[in-house]
Amino acid sequence: MRTLARILTTFATALLVDAVILIVSGRSPIAVYGLLWQQAFGSTSAFADTLLNATPLIFTGVATALAFQAGVFNVGVEGSMYMGAFAAAWVAFTLTTLPWWVLIPLAFLGSAVAGLLWALLPAVLKAYLQVDEVVTTLLLNYVAIDITAYLVTYPFLAPGAANSMSVPIASQAELPRLVASSQLNAGFLVAVAVAIVAAWLIRRSVLGFEIRSLGQNPWFARTMGIPLARTIVAAMCVSGLIGGLGGATQVLGVNYRFVQGFSPGYGFDGITVALMANNNPIGAIVGAVLIGALRNGGTTMQLFTNIPLDLVNVLQAIVILLVTVNVGFRIRSRGWRRKQEAKTAS
Amino acid sequence: MLLNVLASTLDSATPLLFAAMGGIIAQQAGMLNIGIEGMMLAGAFGGVLVSYLTGSVPLALLGAMGTAMLVGLIFDFFVVTLRANLIVVGLAINILAVGATGYILPVAFNVQGAFAPPGLRGLGAVPMGWLAGVPVLGRLLEGHTVLVYLSWISVFVTALVLRHTVWGIRVRAVGEDPEAARASGIPVKSIQYGAILMCAAIAGLAGAQLSLGELTLFNKAMTGGRGFIALAAFFFGGFRPSGTAVACFVFGFFEALQYRVQQIGIPPQLIETLPYISVVLALASMQIVRAWRRRRATNAQ
Repeated sequence: MRTLARILTTFATALLVDAVILIVSGRSPIAVYGLLWQQAFGSTSAFADTLLNATPLIFTGVATALAFQAGVFNVGVEGSMYMGAFAAAWVAFTLTTLPWWVLIPLAFLGSAVAGLLWALLPAVLKAYLQVDEVVTTLLLNYVAIDITAYLVTYPFLAPGAANSMSVPIASQAELPRLVASSQLNAGFLVAVAVAIVAAWLIRRSVLGFEIRSLGQNPWFARTMGIPLARTIVAAMCVSGLIGGLGGATQVLGVNYRFVQGFSPGYGFDGITVALMANNNPIGAIVGAVLIGALRNGGTTMQLFTNIPLDLVNVLQAIVILLVTVNVGFRIRSRGWRRKQEAKTAS
Repeated sequence: MLLNVLASTLDSATPLLFAAMGGIIAQQAGMLNIGIEGMMLAGAFGGVLVSYLTGSVPLALLGAMGTAMLVGLIFDFFVVTLRANLIVVGLAINILAVGATGYILPVAFNVQGAFAPPGLRGLGAVPMGWLAGVPVLGRLLEGHTVLVYLSWISVFVTALVLRHTVWGIRVRAVGEDPEAARASGIPVKSIQYGAILMCAAIAGLAGAQLSLGELTLFNKAMTGGRGFIALAAFFFGGFRPSGTAVACFVFGFFEALQYRVQQIGIPPQLIETLPYISVVLALASMQIVRAWRRRRATNAQ
């Protein structure tokens, strides 16, 4: 509940700051926000589109949140998503004779494996060689984007396609739509399910306990006998796995093929979501819906008014900045308190 | 052909050199600046804006540095004063820069897409004079902006400042151990502010090279990940100007190669991955060597 309050207050503050920007550029914040609200929630199709936009963000948000809980700064979920997406697409356009109840799970499995493997390299480098994971995961994102771009521009390019994209997936692999008026599909349900499983994992499982201990106090965790290196790898692998699933959902539910550069930064948005939700997977659903609402509303807003979608980017950046200040204060006071306790204990 | 690629390499390396040198300064102050990309973009924007409004190139360069420093100030405020997470603020700065420039252009100037007002004064090429006649060197050095040469100088200046000036030594002290630095009377926060502002200013010049150099326009996607490549470069170079400069030229070479290589049939996307992969490999090998050395030391005891 506290997380929910945090998410909403941070968001509200960011909206206030953005309102100032709007006023300065001669627009009424009330009108703009009203429009945003309407485009994001005002009708069934609008709300469905918001959930559609939120779906990948739930995956990337949960993925990032789990890694963050282990104290591992995995900013490479975007890369895992790309690899997972391509794997799912490959399964779905290659094994076209399989029935849907085999093909779809198989595609998801492929994406999970691909996403996991992609996160494995930086995970091992960090766990056993202490290579900073921020740099490796950040840069490997671009490698993933480039490799998959290469794959659909050359070997897997759909014949006769103008853009770099693969052949369409088998029709039985397409995820069913949930609402007639939108592209919202079963992938959203998968996303929520994954978030719930992740919440269970982090709160009730042994691995979840190890991850949280590692994140809160690595030294103490080691004293308790938790194998640090293995936990780091496990956290990163789960993170990559979920990211991969996110990619599969985009392929099977929205694009029905692999398209070069299909993600407008879902992975990075996932970082925003994870931060907003304080790394809580269920909170990530809320955060994802909020950001999804912004993106959906903003896109439509751009079409009908001439307010550029970039306003949403600015808003998002402000949200991130505010959230991280929040987190910074909490961590500092906790660390300071612990230091005081340590001093008095010795 | 090779000569053309080498000449392009010099152009491509310039923004990387500036950005990487700035990054080194920030890094030596203990702050990994992920936001270099955003600062570069801000500089590119500022440069074009001031050139458009005043028609003066020197003012445009100042404008580039100034705009980037503004972004640096935001970074400083959140990281140094509010103690927020460095990496996250850096990422946010990048998003902010893209969003802000993407928002200001249509709203204030009624521009869609790229901003390329006719008659925009760019940096222009440095005239070669008698050098143009020289066989290899002439071709290599023609058509570069003044910033290209300035970027080479910046490598030496950065090394000099960090090693032989009081400020530079203080910066390194702060990066090494902020507590000890504070105890010896160094104003840690001011130094950190200054280091980032310096980094931002130089990154602004990198941006100016992009928007006022060969092309004279601004596009919010202009930096194209170069800030991260600069990051890769100074990681590769062990945070020292010399190694980093080498990395910048190598990566600049890859970039120049990308454009030509398509004609031979090598996919440019794969070439694009080279800088990133090489950094990951370099970091891994650095750590392997370190671990190996440590094991040797303990075995010897």
